[in-house]
Amino acid sequence: MADPVSRRSFLKAAVLAPLLPSLLAACRRADDKKVVNFFNWSNYIGKDTLPGFTKRTGVEVRYDLFADEDEMFAKLRAGAKGYDLVVIGDYLIPRFRALNLSEPVPTAALKNFNNISSRFRRPVYDPEEGSVPYMWGTTGIAYNKKKLKKAPTSWWDLWDPKYKDRVSMLDNVRDSIGVALLMLGIPPTTRDPEDFRKVREHLIKQKPLVKQYSSSSYLNSLVSGEIDLAMTWSGDLFQTARENPDLDYVIPKEGTHLWVDCLTLLRGSRHREDTLRLIDYLLEPEVAAANANSVRYASPNEKALKFVDPVLLNDPRVYPKGAMMKNLRLNAVLDPEQSELWNQTWADVKVA
Amino acid sequence: MDRALSWLLGGRRPLASHLLLAPASLWLIFLLVIPAGGLILLSFATNGPYGAIVWEFGLHNYARAFDPKYLPVLIRTIIFAGATTITCLVLGYPVAYYLSFRAGRWRNALLVGLMVPFWSSCLVAYYSWMIVLGKEGLLNTALIRFGFLSEPIGFLYTPFSILLGLVYFYLPFTVLPLYASLDKVPRSVVEAAYDLGANRWKAFWKVTLPLSMPGVVAGCILTFIPCLGDFLTVEILGGPRYYLLGNLISNQFMMAQDWPFGSALTCLLLAGLVGGLWLYQRWEKA
Repeated sequence: MADPVSRRSFLKAAVLAPLLPSLLAACRRADDKKVVNFFNWSNYIGKDTLPGFTKRTGVEVRYDLFADEDEMFAKLRAGAKGYDLVVIGDYLIPRFRALNLSEPVPTAALKNFNNISSRFRRPVYDPEEGSVPYMWGTTGIAYNKKKLKKAPTSWWDLWDPKYKDRVSMLDNVRDSIGVALLMLGIPPTTRDPEDFRKVREHLIKQKPLVKQYSSSSYLNSLVSGEIDLAMTWSGDLFQTARENPDLDYVIPKEGTHLWVDCLTLLRGSRHREDTLRLIDYLLEPEVAAANANSVRYASPNEKALKFVDPVLLNDPRVYPKGAMMKNLRLNAVLDPEQSELWNQTWADVKVA
Repeated sequence: MDRALSWLLGGRRPLASHLLLAPASLWLIFLLVIPAGGLILLSFATNGPYGAIVWEFGLHNYARAFDPKYLPVLIRTIIFAGATTITCLVLGYPVAYYLSFRAGRWRNALLVGLMVPFWSSCLVAYYSWMIVLGKEGLLNTALIRFGFLSEPIGFLYTPFSILLGLVYFYLPFTVLPLYASLDKVPRSVVEAAYDLGANRWKAFWKVTLPLSMPGVVAGCILTFIPCLGDFLTVEILGGPRYYLLGNLISNQFMMAQDWPFGSALTCLLLAGLVGGLWLYQRWEKA
């Protein structure tokens, strides 16, 4: 039987072994290269935005995507290391602080932070301004103009039995419970178990009509005609409508919440300096406007608005006007107890 | 070489045999014992503010798991896993039989063919099924084209699409053990049955099938058990009314941010499986 290790391969290994440390060193050097690790929603940045930053500064941006906020949160909570910057919803900001996942962005030191519209300064979810508003949008109803005789106008249309098996709902605690509370006229800051019993029943009543609870794949279902009505995030639908022009978006007459997605610095970031440079870059009016034009969400950047595509800027579905704007409210800030009630209620709806 | 091995493994040098076992043991310790231990520990912990884990121990997670509201989920899961296992067995047995008795020189090629879907991620497979089953998908288009349907049927997000996905993914788990045990059935015994006057059907029923029973049992166990914990199939091909145990558990970790409760559910599922297998082994020995 042949030797399992031939003399030649042993010699080869002996020659290569001393190279190993230098190889490792090379890896380490590669890590010292100027990079920012950016974790963001899929389809949530302009095509030229990051290349523009790299071209100007030489800093490479390693861009990683998530399609589900809960998944992102679970991943970071479980100790995923190496990300410097993440885009999270307003309601997650107190949670990230409490769990020590993020550290405040020194917004005062950013050259362009004052471009942010006064409406989004010192927000309730982050009065100390340790996060930077990235985009804002609304939660509303997407529908197929061709398939529906009458355009939906109210959240109650999603509860209409005639749309059985043609409806999808966002699989997200903030939106599902938030909208149910809004429909029932219950203040979002409630901590009364009776209120949550009502919410649970309200959502369970709708369940036989619902084809999907989904936060991303329902967009494909809308395009392919699998469903005709969906609770959706504004910009996601506008992006999808490029594929199927029959799709439209409406903010229900009961109103909805206006949410803000924010750039957040993660604790333990090893590329702090360059991350802050990237944030400052994203706040530049032209950059922010091009980015918003591409993802079709609204920009919280006041100075950017004059560079935003007038078609989008004048579209009340993207930038709601007057009375409609008054009908929008920011997400309520929940303490741990309330947040647990919301989570449990949604978990119970899904089990039912 | 053989002498060297027996010298290494021989009783005189237990250290050497320990060393040889070390990679496997370390593998087991780091990837099974430690995570399982962590899971068990976590299942007794408490869920703190915003889903932080508080190390105060108690049985509360287990008490919650026995809430009757979870019973329908458990029953539904057992039904889906059972239906998948039976379908896989009914479809898989003829396939395994053919491979073992009839395939001849095509056998290896067919076996590889059986394995090919396994090499791609089941995500890809499930998304392909979505294209096939959708309202504007291949199946509906074909049925309408040939006049079987006037309007498309929503195949997706129904029990049918879930079962299809599960059977598609788990079929090789049933076929391979069946094939292995059918292949071991001595052909001379089957011929002896013919010589003693049995017809084909009787020979199969009295000889081949009983001799392949270990494969049937192994195939069923290998299909049923992973089915009980499957969550991806329902996530992608299922609708909101077909929530299974795997979805319940994954939701505790993802959406509800209640890791201790999710761990308790996982431990209960594991305990049920280990207990079931233990009972089965005892029954088999008896």
